[in-house]
Amino acid sequence: MFAVYRELEGSTRLAAHVLRRVWVLRFPPVMEELVRQIYFTGASATATIVVRGAFIGTLIIAYVIEVLEADAALAVKMLLWVVLREIGPLIAAVLVIQRSGTAVATELALMKISGEVDSLRHLRIDPRDHLVVPRVIGISLSLAALTLYVQFIAVGGGMVLSALVINASFSELASNFFLLASPLDLAYSIVKSLLFGGAIGVIACYYGLNPPGRSINAVPKAAISAVTQSTIAVMIINVVFAYLAYGVALFGLFTAKV
Amino acid sequence: MTTLRARAAEARQVALWYEPAPDGPSGRVWIPAGAGHRAVPVSEAFKSRLLAALLELEPQPGAWLAVLGADAGGLGAGERLALRSRIGFLPANGGMISNLNGWENIVLPLGYRDAKRVNPAAPKVHALIERLGGSPRALLAKLPEEMTLYEKKLAGYVRMLLEAPELVVAENLTGGLEHDERRRTAAFPAAYHAERPEGVFVQLDDAPDQ
Repeated sequence: MFAVYRELEGSTRLAAHVLRRVWVLRFPPVMEELVRQIYFTGASATATIVVRGAFIGTLIIAYVIEVLEADAALAVKMLLWVVLREIGPLIAAVLVIQRSGTAVATELALMKISGEVDSLRHLRIDPRDHLVVPRVIGISLSLAALTLYVQFIAVGGGMVLSALVINASFSELASNFFLLASPLDLAYSIVKSLLFGGAIGVIACYYGLNPPGRSINAVPKAAISAVTQSTIAVMIINVVFAYLAYGVALFGLFTAKV
Repeated sequence: MTTLRARAAEARQVALWYEPAPDGPSGRVWIPAGAGHRAVPVSEAFKSRLLAALLELEPQPGAWLAVLGADAGGLGAGERLALRSRIGFLPANGGMISNLNGWENIVLPLGYRDAKRVNPAAPKVHALIERLGGSPRALLAKLPEEMTLYEKKLAGYVRMLLEAPELVVAENLTGGLEHDERRRTAAFPAAYHAERPEGVFVQLDDAPDQ
């Protein structure tokens, strides 16, 4: 129990540090780290996400039209509710946890064990400024961009593939989509993605900078903890967000037009 | 009280003076201001206490630390930061950051403290590397994992020279090097004194085998 409290407190302090010290991005070395992180988390992850996104869009449309025997309008509504608001950010978050969460925790744990974090201190550079701030912000921005990408691929690719493989009209799907989609759907998912990214980045950095020991065995343990806790954090944020959006705080704002 | 006053007065004359707490490892470092010195700690425990105290400028309770004429134990947080900026430390492994190449490692502190000096520093970096027996083009492009230990120490040293601190502490400078590389490190103090003639260069060796 004490360990859970300590980890929660440590992650919260790290998140507060990032918010307080965003301005260090004006230093060239921090900006270079940010660009590297965005390239790794965002740009180089796009290829792996195309197939998943397109298949999920197709699956939803095919399921609604073929299995539930519903019309194109309901299929598009399902795309909006499921892909745009929920699955899009979640798929991107899972991908980022798998790739960047493990990479960041492993890299930082190795740097800690090999004394590089101390080297930064000896150079009078705060390791949190150099290592944590660009990674957290880079992962957040990349995750938001990946979410947009997933949404575009899943919705667009899903409609194209559905027109090819099942008896669905692309123009009917597309016109229904533009009729029903709202900028709020996009804003909702982007804000959620930024929070997902922030949580994944902070948690990966926390476990990377606090490996459970100084031996090489501590590195995979740090990565496992980062992945497990990031996944839990993403789920919690998703639930809280859904409650806020569909429940008390923003009641009615995202209600579906069935 | 008299002892403390006498110590404080004596501290003004020294570059580095450290005595651990009575219950800590035995030993004493007393290095006068000026020129180069070689310190051989009596034990690794003493050396690690000395480095911890020097790099944090917070001597352990009961220990005594004076650096560049100032009693470190009596300094406030701001004064400690200011004093720390006058000290350079070269760790035995060069202190490279693994995801940065040689050039990025060398200009890393400048990027934080004086970014305008980064690009103009390139000719000086090349000249320093050449003077110390390295190949600038190859070294600056290499990642630390591709560097030899000598190259790591060289890059770390050039990085420190760009800021030319008043006190340089090089940990086990020749440790782990080949004969030819050890010979080349002999030029390190001279390169430092060319940048800062009045500076103090301290080689802190490993403790002899117990």
